[in-house]
Amino acid sequence: MSALNRHILQSQPSAARRWEAAAVWLFRSATYVILLCGALVFGNIVFKGSKTVFTTTAPFINVAFLTEAPESLYVFEYQGKKREMGDREFRAFKAQHPDASNVKSESYVYSAGGIFPCIVGTVLLVVGSMFIALTLGVSAAVYLSEYATQGRVVTAIRLAILNLAGVPSIVFGLFGLGLFVIYLDWNVSLIAGWFTLALMVLPVVITASEESLKAVPKGFREGSLALGATKWQTIRKNVLPYALPGILTSSILGIARVAGETAPIMFTAAYVVRDKLPWEGLTSVSDFFFQGVMALPYHIYVVSSKIPQNEYTERVQYGTAFVFLMIVAAIATSSILLRNKLRNRYKW
Amino acid sequence: MDSPRPAPASDFLVNKKRVRVLGLSFDDAVKIFFGGNAFVSVLVLALITYFLFQEGFGFFGQNHRNLLTYRQAGLEYVDYIRTQESAHTALTRYLSDLRLRQFSHATLEKKLTPAAANESLVAFDNFAALYGDSVEPLRGLVSELTEQATAIKTKFLVAEDKAVERQQLTAEGKIAEAAAVQIETVDFAVEVKALTGTLPAYKELAAEFIKKLDAALLTAPAMPTAELTTRLERFRQLSSDFTATFPATTRSLETWDYTRAVPWYQAFSAFLFGREWLTASFWQDWYGIVPLFMGSLMVSLVALLLAVPMGVGAAIYVNQIASAAEQRFIKPCIEFISAIPSVVLGFFGIAVLGQLLRWLSQQDALAWVPGFPFSERLNILTAGCLLALIAVPTIFTLAEDALQNVPKAFKEASFALGATRLQTIIKIVVPASLSGIISAVLLGLGRVIGETMVVLLCAGNRIAIPDFTAGLAVVTQPVHTMTGIIAQEMGEVVRGSIHYRALFVVGLGLFFLSLAINFLAQKIVNKYRISIG
Repeated sequence: MSALNRHILQSQPSAARRWEAAAVWLFRSATYVILLCGALVFGNIVFKGSKTVFTTTAPFINVAFLTEAPESLYVFEYQGKKREMGDREFRAFKAQHPDASNVKSESYVYSAGGIFPCIVGTVLLVVGSMFIALTLGVSAAVYLSEYATQGRVVTAIRLAILNLAGVPSIVFGLFGLGLFVIYLDWNVSLIAGWFTLALMVLPVVITASEESLKAVPKGFREGSLALGATKWQTIRKNVLPYALPGILTSSILGIARVAGETAPIMFTAAYVVRDKLPWEGLTSVSDFFFQGVMALPYHIYVVSSKIPQNEYTERVQYGTAFVFLMIVAAIATSSILLRNKLRNRYKW
Repeated sequence: MDSPRPAPASDFLVNKKRVRVLGLSFDDAVKIFFGGNAFVSVLVLALITYFLFQEGFGFFGQNHRNLLTYRQAGLEYVDYIRTQESAHTALTRYLSDLRLRQFSHATLEKKLTPAAANESLVAFDNFAALYGDSVEPLRGLVSELTEQATAIKTKFLVAEDKAVERQQLTAEGKIAEAAAVQIETVDFAVEVKALTGTLPAYKELAAEFIKKLDAALLTAPAMPTAELTTRLERFRQLSSDFTATFPATTRSLETWDYTRAVPWYQAFSAFLFGREWLTASFWQDWYGIVPLFMGSLMVSLVALLLAVPMGVGAAIYVNQIASAAEQRFIKPCIEFISAIPSVVLGFFGIAVLGQLLRWLSQQDALAWVPGFPFSERLNILTAGCLLALIAVPTIFTLAEDALQNVPKAFKEASFALGATRLQTIIKIVVPASLSGIISAVLLGLGRVIGETMVVLLCAGNRIAIPDFTAGLAVVTQPVHTMTGIIAQEMGEVVRGSIHYRALFVVGLGLFFLSLAINFLAQKIVNKYRISIG
C-alpha cells in the first residue's frame, strides 16, 4: 500500500498539480517552438547556401563566388550537352566555337559570378555608419549620464530617443531621401547611406552606452574629483575607460542591425548593379563618398524578387543569403559572447 | 548668483588661470559639445517630421486638382455609366459561376460526359448569351464617351504643361520663347457639352437595356436541383436590384454639373477613406490609403496572434519556470533570432515557407481549415508567420523584463499562503507585470507594422481590400502594405509628382502611427504600473 508509506509532508497528486504540469509543458513548448522556428530558418539557409559557398575540392571555399562581380548566367545546349556559363565565359566560348554563335540560350541575370562588390559595399556602409553613430551616440550618452540635470531639455531628449527607436526603418529611408539625397543634393551615395543608417541606430547606441556609463561606480568619479581633476579629466581618465568595453560590445548589436537593414539604404545608398568597385575610377577623394554601392541585403532583395526561382538561380540566392547571414551572425555572436565575458570581469 | 561681484582673488593661495574662448572655459566647451550631440536626437525627430511634411504635404493640393480635373473633364460623368457596365459584368460572372455548378452537377451527379453535359446546357447558354449581349449598346456608348473624356483631360493637361513651360521661360528671361509657346485654352463648357449631349441617347439605351434584360430573364431554363434553383432566384433578385438603380443613375447624370466645386476637404478624405490605390492608369489615378492600411493591419494582426502567446509564454517560462542553465541557453538564442535580417526572412518566405504552406493547405487531411486549400503562395498568412518571428524577440525581451521587475516578496507571499506555482504565476506575477506585458505587445506591434522587407517579399503585393466576406479564409489572400508600397514604388516615381508625394504622405502616416503606438505603450507602463514600495 503505497499510500501508507508516503510521508505526511510528501506532495500528493492532485488536479491542481496536473494542471500545473500541463501549463508548464505549454509554456515550455512555446519557448522551444520559437527556437525551432529560428533553427529551421537558419538551418535551411546554411544547408542550401553552403553548397554554393563551399566546394568539395582543394580550397574548399568557392573563391570565385566571394571575389567576383555578379554576371548573367546563360544556360544552353551545345552538341547535345547542357552547359551553364557566365557572361564573359559565354562570349569567349562563342568566339572559340563560331558555330555556337546562334545557339539558343536562356539567361538569368545576376546568377553567375560572385558577390564581391556587395560584400565590399556592406562593409563600407557598416564601418562608416557605425563610426558616425558611435561618435554621436557615446557623446550623447556622456552628456545624459554625466552632465545632465533633470530638466525640460533632458526630458525632451529622452522622449526623442525613445520615440526615435520606434520609427520604422522605411521612414528613415524616406527621411534620408528627403534630406540627404534631395535637399543636400548628395544623390544616391555612400555618405547619404552612412548618415541615414547612423541616425537609425542612434537610439540603440545611446541607450547601450548610457547603461555602461551608469554601471561605473560613483566612487570612481568622486575619487578623481576629490584629487582636483576637472570634470572632463574625470570622465576621460576615470569613467570612459571602464565603460568603453561595455559600450563597444552593446553597440555591436547595433552593427548587426545596421548590416541587416535594407529599407533605409534602398533609396539612399544602394545600387542594383554597379560595374566599378568603390575604389575604382575615382578622380578625387570626395568622389569616394559620393558614389553609390552595391550591398548584400539589397542584392538579396533583388535576386529573390526580380528573378524567377529555379535550380540555376537558387545557387546565387542561397549563397548570398548564407554569406550575409554568416556575417550578421558572427557580429551578433561576438557581441553576446563578449558581453557575457565582460559581465564576469567587471564586478564592483 | 549671477550678479557680478568683485573677484576676491586673494582668497585662494593657488589661482589657476583658465583659458576662456568666447567666455567659455575648456570644460564648458566639452559640456556643450556633449550636450549638442545629445540634442541631435531631438533634431532628427524634428527633421524627420519636417522633411516628410515638406515632401508630402503638396500632395493634398495636387490631389485636389486631380479630383477637380476628374470632374471638369467629365470623367466623373462617364464613370456613372461605366459603373453600370461593370455591375452588369459582375452579374454575368454570377451566371458563369452558375453554369460551372450546373456543369459539375451534370458530370459528377448524373455521370454525363463533358460533351453531353454541354449539350444539356444549351438552353442555359442561350439565356446567358442573351443576358450578356444586352449590354453591348451601352458598352459602345461608354467606350465612345471614354475616348472623348480622355481627350478632354489630355488636352487640359497638355495646356497646363505648356503654361508651366511658359512660366519657366519667363522666369529665365526668355520672353520671346515664352510668347512663342502655344497654349490652347480648354473651354470645359463646350467640351463637356459633347458628353452631356448624349444623355437622351443614353436614356433610350437604358430603357432598351432594361427591356432586354427582363426579356432575357424570361428565357431562363429550370434548374436541376433545389440549391441551384435558389441560386437562380437570387440571380433574378440581383438583376432586378440592378435595374432598380437605373433611375438614380439617370438622375445623377441629369444633375451632374462640371462647374460644381470640389470641396477642399475631399483631397484629405479621398486619401484617408479612398478604397482604391490606382496609379499610372490611362483613366484616373486614385490615391486611397484604405487597402494599404488594411493590408498592414491584417498582416500585423496575424503576426501578433501568433507572436503574443508564444512570446509571452516563453517569457513566463524563462523567467518563472526554467532552470538557470536553461535560461543561459534560451536567452542568447532568442537574441540571436532577433539578429536575423528581415530580408533573409523574406527570402526564406519566398523560397520555402510559401511553398510549404501551400503544400500543407492542399493536403486532404487539412481541408477543414478555413481558407484551405489556397493557390497564392504569397499571402497574409505567409507574411504574418514570418513577422511573428520578428515580433517574438521584442515581445519576449520586454515581457521578460517586466516579469523580472515584479518584487520577489509578491511571489513569496503567494507561496507562503499555499498557492501552487501555476496559481502564483497566473494570479500574482502576470497581473503585477501586466502593464509591462501590454506595452511589450504594443512595441511588438510597432515593430511589425513598420517592417518592410518581409511584407514586400511575402505579402503578395496585390492592392485590394481583403474580402472579409470570406470569413477566416481572408488570411489566405494576398495584400499590399503601407511599408511595401513605399519600398516598391518610390524607386520608379518622378520626383515632385503627385504619386511621389502620395508615397511621402503614406510615410507620414506610418511615422505618426509608430509615434502613437510608442506613446500608448509609455502611457500604459507609467499609468498602470503597480506601485511597488
